[in-house]
Amino acid sequence: MFTRHFQGHGWRWSLVALSWLPVVVTFNENVCHIAKIEGSSMRPTLNPNECSSSSDWVLLWKFNIRNAYNLNRDDVILFKCPTDPTKTYCKRIKGIQYDSIKTRYPYPREIVNIPRSHLWVEGDNVFHSVDSNDFGPISAGLAIGKVIKVIWPPSRWGTDVKSTTGRQQLITNQAD
Amino acid sequence: MQSLLQSWVKTATSALRVVCFVHIVHTYVYEFTETRGESMLPTLAARNDYVHALKTYRDGRGCKIGDCIVAAKPNDPNHRVCKRITGMPGDIILVDPSVGTNVFNSSSAMNTEATSDGDNDGYSEADEAFNSFIKVPQGHVWVTGDNLSHSLDSRTYNSLPMGLIKGKIVAANDFNEPFLGGSKGDFWGFRKIQNTYVNEQ
Repeated sequence: MFTRHFQGHGWRWSLVALSWLPVVVTFNENVCHIAKIEGSSMRPTLNPNECSSSSDWVLLWKFNIRNAYNLNRDDVILFKCPTDPTKTYCKRIKGIQYDSIKTRYPYPREIVNIPRSHLWVEGDNVFHSVDSNDFGPISAGLAIGKVIKVIWPPSRWGTDVKSTTGRQQLITNQAD
Repeated sequence: MQSLLQSWVKTATSALRVVCFVHIVHTYVYEFTETRGESMLPTLAARNDYVHALKTYRDGRGCKIGDCIVAAKPNDPNHRVCKRITGMPGDIILVDPSVGTNVFNSSSAMNTEATSDGDNDGYSEADEAFNSFIKVPQGHVWVTGDNLSHSLDSRTYNSLPMGLIKGKIVAANDFNEPFLGGSKGDFWGFRKIQNTYVNEQ
């Protein structure tokens, strides 16, 4: 009698836990999530050490991220790679909609005007980064989340993600 | 009082769980939703047409040329568009032979040049329109509406990154039709949305 009662209880509790799973997933998809940063393109802001075992984990803010006023210059964002939707890139926004941006070598034009709801993204580690200079401005619809804090490892707590911002003076008034 | 509060909390949390579950299903599995606009005529009616979209085709997974897709609009991500894929990565696309090439920045210069020449050298706007090709980059698709003359699509905003694709439309219900015996099919004009691609080779 007692064991049967207990089993019924366990079954019930696992069902309740399962029913909360969609809530957790929805929260992680739309409000807040964590992500691991891989690669060196955002050095020295993220992953400052050469050693690959010390990847940074960051807190992402996702709520209402696709609205233009939530994505500002010098924000660090995660977005789906436009050339391969299965990959996720982490870069810094260097230009928002209607900006004119001075580009770097692989880009075919010297100055580019960013279209509506598009972003110009670049890595802080300018010469080790596949970014908008390769694939052009990205649609804000590809943005996944904004990096607001480094949460792991503990030695990196309190890192200011805007302390260094990569290439400077990209915005120009000159239209092409 | 205590039990009233408890029942309220219980109702609220249940509602939250149900809403989130439905949201997850709508994002990853299946959605039944209304479409509006003339751009997909005659495949989809301009209003009151509801489509069955499979979200497992998210991010362009398994999408083929000729498929009907729902995607976020690149220059306005909060809106969704419904288009047909007419070019896959690596395909070379003739942008739009039907009108002058106002797709490109250089078009106005080209057009004025052509008209001022009075077409004496046989160089006309139409020739220019027939000569603007574009290669669809990796991870992008070329999308157009079925109603080419009334559609805002890749001809204006260029190729669409697959990351913006939300799902594939597999069927539709037209609620302008009667329940039975409508011209499009029974059950409020239920019909499958087919892949229209014909390989001419």
